[in-house]
Amino acid sequence: MPVLHRRLLLGVSAAAVLAAIAPAGAEPAKGEPIYLGVSGPLTGPNAQYGAQWKMGFDLALDEINGSGGIKGRPLAYVFEDTQSDPRQSVAVAQKFVADPKIVAELGDFASPASMAASPIYQKAKLVQFGFTNSHPDFTKGGDYMWSNSVSQADEQPLSAAYAVKRLGLKRIAVLHLNTDWGRTSKEIFNKAAKEYGAEVVATEGYLPDEKDFRSTLVRVRDAKPDGVMLISYYSDAALIARQIRQSGLKLPIVAASSVYSPKLIELGGDAVEGIFTASRYFPDDPRPQVRDFVARFKAKYGKEPDAFNAYAYDTMILMAQVMREFGADRKSIHDGLAKVKDVPSVIFGKTTFDIQTRRVTGAKNVELVVKDGRFTLWDGGTAVR
Amino acid sequence: MASWIDYTVNGIIIGNIYALLAVGLALIFGVSRLINFAHGSVYVVGAYAGFLAVTHMGTPLPVTLVIVVVVGALLGLLIERFGLRPLQGYAHIAPLLATIGISFVLDQLVQLFFSPDPRALPSSLLETRFQVGSGTIGALDLVIAGVGLISAGLLYWFLRFTRLGWAVRATAQDRDAAQQMGVDVDAVHRTVFAIASGLGAVSGLLVGMYYNYFDPAMSFQATLKGVVAQVVGGVGNVPGAIAGSLLLGLVESYGIALFGTSYRNLFAFILLVVVLVLRPNGLFASRRQTPPEPMTGTFIAPSRPINVPPKALLGAAVAAALVPLVFPHPYVMQTLINAWLYALLGLSLTLIAGTVGLVSLGHAALLAIGGYTSALLALTFGVPVGLAILSAGLFTALLGTMLVFPSFRLRGHYLSIATLAIGEIVSLVILNWESVTRGPIGVSGIPSLSLFGLELDTDRSIYWFTLAVMVVLAALQFRLLGSHLGRVLRAVRDDDVAARSYGIGLDRYKALAFSVGSFAAGVSGAITAHIYSYINHETFNAQLSILALTIVILGGMGNVTGAIVGSVLLVGLPEVFRVAAEYRVLIYGLVLLLLVRFRPQGIMGTV
Repeated sequence: MPVLHRRLLLGVSAAAVLAAIAPAGAEPAKGEPIYLGVSGPLTGPNAQYGAQWKMGFDLALDEINGSGGIKGRPLAYVFEDTQSDPRQSVAVAQKFVADPKIVAELGDFASPASMAASPIYQKAKLVQFGFTNSHPDFTKGGDYMWSNSVSQADEQPLSAAYAVKRLGLKRIAVLHLNTDWGRTSKEIFNKAAKEYGAEVVATEGYLPDEKDFRSTLVRVRDAKPDGVMLISYYSDAALIARQIRQSGLKLPIVAASSVYSPKLIELGGDAVEGIFTASRYFPDDPRPQVRDFVARFKAKYGKEPDAFNAYAYDTMILMAQVMREFGADRKSIHDGLAKVKDVPSVIFGKTTFDIQTRRVTGAKNVELVVKDGRFTLWDGGTAVR
Repeated sequence: MASWIDYTVNGIIIGNIYALLAVGLALIFGVSRLINFAHGSVYVVGAYAGFLAVTHMGTPLPVTLVIVVVVGALLGLLIERFGLRPLQGYAHIAPLLATIGISFVLDQLVQLFFSPDPRALPSSLLETRFQVGSGTIGALDLVIAGVGLISAGLLYWFLRFTRLGWAVRATAQDRDAAQQMGVDVDAVHRTVFAIASGLGAVSGLLVGMYYNYFDPAMSFQATLKGVVAQVVGGVGNVPGAIAGSLLLGLVESYGIALFGTSYRNLFAFILLVVVLVLRPNGLFASRRQTPPEPMTGTFIAPSRPINVPPKALLGAAVAAALVPLVFPHPYVMQTLINAWLYALLGLSLTLIAGTVGLVSLGHAALLAIGGYTSALLALTFGVPVGLAILSAGLFTALLGTMLVFPSFRLRGHYLSIATLAIGEIVSLVILNWESVTRGPIGVSGIPSLSLFGLELDTDRSIYWFTLAVMVVLAALQFRLLGSHLGRVLRAVRDDDVAARSYGIGLDRYKALAFSVGSFAAGVSGAITAHIYSYINHETFNAQLSILALTIVILGGMGNVTGAIVGSVLLVGLPEVFRVAAEYRVLIYGLVLLLLVRFRPQGIMGTV
């Protein structure tokens, strides 16, 4: 298995480098690594997200293995490409389940692929940790399905409060990705916005591969909103923002935290100037684990981390903590997830699971605005003039 | 009223973009009678070539355009030389598969070189915007329209007034006759591929600039929209392709205006089916034109199939049944379960496409119908799973046949494109009909497989169940093909005029074959849904339809053992290449190309 060897080498050499610079007292990990299985897209239409996961994982592993690994053994992962296709994710699931070296599984990316594999993981009692799976039914697949994905029931009321209470929008047009994530988010956002006293005057769902939004925006304009809410990823948000400006609409734009990425600004250019959004963390955050994460990410990759990098990083740190405290075998990890408390986290501040839902609540939220081509803290001005 | 002006302007703008793609596709189809699935990949390469030129060499726009045209043209020459020329003289289906393989390889190469991240392609020169209605159009919109019109004009002039252009048209009308008259047919194909690919690459660059966005994954959608646009205008008809593109843009825009964004593609594809059924030559074809594709007997050319003796088949089935006992590894079993489920899909398509000649490009829709029917029956009405699967198969047979029935009068590529559209329509209906299908949220908690109250909860029992279903349906299909009925179906495929003059009711036999085939696909989708426990509109996507066709062509059209061998290979190879990580799809594409190159009639041969 060349993949394993490569990963092993990678992990060990990274550990060695870190050992040279690590402060005294932190022994680098050595010996037979402990493996996590990762099922996700490295090829196919979602390949960009798999690539971002890897960056987050590798950064976390440098840190973990540089400071003693898991009780002296290095932590490593085996990334199996599924293209986020359910037919491949079930095969990969069987592979991981049958491999005694794998102590827990992370992924997959999209719900159809993740949830198709859940019955296999559940039956084999191997933890399936879906860190991007916000589908409300994901953790209902069984007691081995866990997720630290930010719950939309948590996140969208915050977005709604930002848009309505603080930015002062009264008539909102909502554009959402027509996927399970976008659909769920939209329902919760619309409900919360109404509770805060705003009216949702238009709701338009679009497919992930859509590039042209001009006609949608005519519909939006005709509904006479005073602001647009985007429940999008960064790539479509950039496209929509550009076309909003090109079609001459001067509406304020609020976007879900999933657009937080340097790519939004690269792709959107001037058009994303003034977009209001939120993030789980912010580079100038006073929290030490955020500063540390951002600084080390920039040092390693030469760019700012985005939301997917942060999810992957957080997840690896969390798994390491669980294994350090409760043991690195399948059962201990399952039991440990229920017991682990206050793991330092970029996204949540501190991660503790709700044992009933097997999810984490209380995601951090920083309100941001894009100013002069950078994400900056929102200064308190309203959007509606 | 002002809004309608805006919708119209927007429709024309987007139609403009489709036109760039459609013209290239139309040109290749006109001459080579081939839907070039690699066209979208050329378009992606064009965007990246332009990006490199601008960012690394700082070239101004006119120079960038020239560079991109040259890169695209060279790529077109390569595609023609290595992908298609070796396959000349074989049935048209082999080059089709070759273009699919080429597009895999190109997309993967781009992804490996440039990372899968989307990129920006700023066009600061062309930011000027003009007020039209209440919106604006940019200078780039005009450039795109200009490039579309000028290239169409140049093509018209080239085809009408140059010697090489005459040769191209002569080759398009009758390749053999042109060759006898001394036309260098190879040179004609080269020219056409170079021109069309140059144009495709430019459209990639312009669209990338237009959206300030491009990524390697945009190729499939580009091919899809380009194909739709050129068929609406009349296959192989260059001015028609432009008109068809504008019409497609307008229909999408008005569809959004009337029903909302999530209905956009639904109207585009309904338009396509209506145009195909009412005017198979396209809206802009002249009446004098020769009938579309006089290619009876050439789309699928019979070859000498490899005859596997029944005893060997029986032995293979027994060996397959023994796998869980001899080699009880769950990963191997799961991979083979997938292979048997694909084999069911392959059996279905090999009957419909291979034996009867209805090459369907929307076969995943049948899986979706089967999967949703069974899932909802079991979940909502508490129907026992075994019965639900059976009912799903029957319902798929009924609904699938009804949907395709109006298209039975179409032949060759026209039918393929109609089925492609029907497949997309089914998927969009599933997405939008939320009260029944639960829309994008999907159906979760689907009961797992059970039979007569007996839970199939081990990998082994699921394996034996899928294998048994597959073997039974394969055996039935063998029986069917060997019977009088099988000969009638092949007669319909080989020469429908002759078949009709013998008193064979074509539609009836086509419907019969389609419903038998749909049953197998429906059952496959239903079993899949119960194994996964969760499905949504993306579970059975358009890529799966392409894969189904790949299985069937690779195995040999109409060949039952071929469908099974093809699916074992196409499910197995990506798993075998897993060690290659990011390179695995690239290797898979190359192997596919080699297989087509050396066995264009399929591994087991066309029956």
